[in-house]
Amino acid sequence: MAQESKKKGFGWRSLINFKVATIAACLALIGLFAAAFALDAKQVFLPGETSVGHYLFETSCASCHEGFKPVTNDTCMSCHEAELAQDLHGASKFRDPRWAGDLEKIAALTCTTCHEEHVHMFDRGVNLQPDLCMACHEGIINGDLKSHDGFTPDGCWTAGCHNYHDHRTISTGFLRANLDQPPMLPVQQMPDRTVVTTVETAPKPDLSQEFLGGSQ
Amino acid sequence: MRILITLLFACSLFFGWGHPAIAADQNLVKETTQLWEDSLHALNDVNCSSCHTDEKTKEFVAKPQTSCRSCHEAAVDTFLLGKHGIRLREGKPALTPAIARLPMREDAHNLQMNCNTCHDVHSVKTVPAAVDSCLTCHADNHSLNYKNSRHAELFDADRNLPRPSADSVSCATCHLPRHEAKLSDRTTALVNHNNTYNLLPRDRMVGEVCMNCHGVEYSYNSIFDDKLVEANFDAPPTLSLETFDLVRELEKRRAE
Repeated sequence: MAQESKKKGFGWRSLINFKVATIAACLALIGLFAAAFALDAKQVFLPGETSVGHYLFETSCASCHEGFKPVTNDTCMSCHEAELAQDLHGASKFRDPRWAGDLEKIAALTCTTCHEEHVHMFDRGVNLQPDLCMACHEGIINGDLKSHDGFTPDGCWTAGCHNYHDHRTISTGFLRANLDQPPMLPVQQMPDRTVVTTVETAPKPDLSQEFLGGSQ
Repeated sequence: MRILITLLFACSLFFGWGHPAIAADQNLVKETTQLWEDSLHALNDVNCSSCHTDEKTKEFVAKPQTSCRSCHEAAVDTFLLGKHGIRLREGKPALTPAIARLPMREDAHNLQMNCNTCHDVHSVKTVPAAVDSCLTCHADNHSLNYKNSRHAELFDADRNLPRPSADSVSCATCHLPRHEAKLSDRTTALVNHNNTYNLLPRDRMVGEVCMNCHGVEYSYNSIFDDKLVEANFDAPPTLSLETFDLVRELEKRRAE
């Protein structure tokens, strides 16, 4: 009797070793991922917090990712084309030989250089340190532009003064042209919506009984 | 006895209980038809079947999901790019306030976001869609404080119009802004339904919206004051951005 229980105890203990634990952990992980797929709970695959702009479809991996390939500019542009219609730091800027060399300092033609997802963002979906402008424009705060002497290197865009992509309504030229405007402009109006009608009176409704048949 | 009761129950189901349900539906059809008869849809010959027919199978559809886009392409396409519509674009179930990170009204948590959530598609009046629809869900301070603003006072004058006028400021004026569009026969304004388009950077809102009425300095000093944004611009700005001092100095230097 005593021999038997000793045998049994030994058997259980022999299962607790590194090899078995590794196999069990792998099986558990495979089970977890399979369950996540089966239950469409893909949150478990997220490597970090998704940005405020993208979290609403964070479980739709294929919206941005094609397998494990890097996310392309085309993917970003399929939604953000309108925002980048006037991109100050777009491809045409860096085709100019004066600026082409700057691409070595910062890979500015790839969206994900500054806008990596699922990592810490400083602001506006930018994951690079806020002083990213200094990669090329360090001279501005170090003597090249008198009015900006002594400015902090991380304030260009975080203070709201400059925009990397579209600066049409914040450029110095724009502010100069509109300086000293009164609080209320002489004409205060939004674009108006004009509508047309093609018939004078409403036609007879062409469905009625169909709606009683229940919802579909 | 048991058989009799069962028979009575079956008869009441068949003859009695069925009818009130149908009558209620008939009332709804009547009310809906009346709304439609005064609408811009009716006066443009957009009839019931225009929307309530499946494009491919030509079968009747009680609750159309996709018919709006056949006429309102730009509105739907921009809607799908903003937070309100992006889940539908990416093949997920529609957005509900329950999954929003912003504060939302609890009684609205299960509303599904599609065209019909904000628009009454039968009356086709857009005044309710410009403010009331937003406040059905949004319960953050900025939204709740709208009623205290001068903008809201202006909008009150529009309450009986079919569409917001060019002189008032609603939630939609800033967040779903109109932009001029040239059509073949006239110039009109289209509504950009991408509600996130001009949120950031804030100067996009200044250029597209604020400066239709306000000067540049007033606009920037307002929109960069987080407290004033939260109060929904209930008072003139007190902020004075250094940017404008720099531009003034520059102007002085250029004049010398």
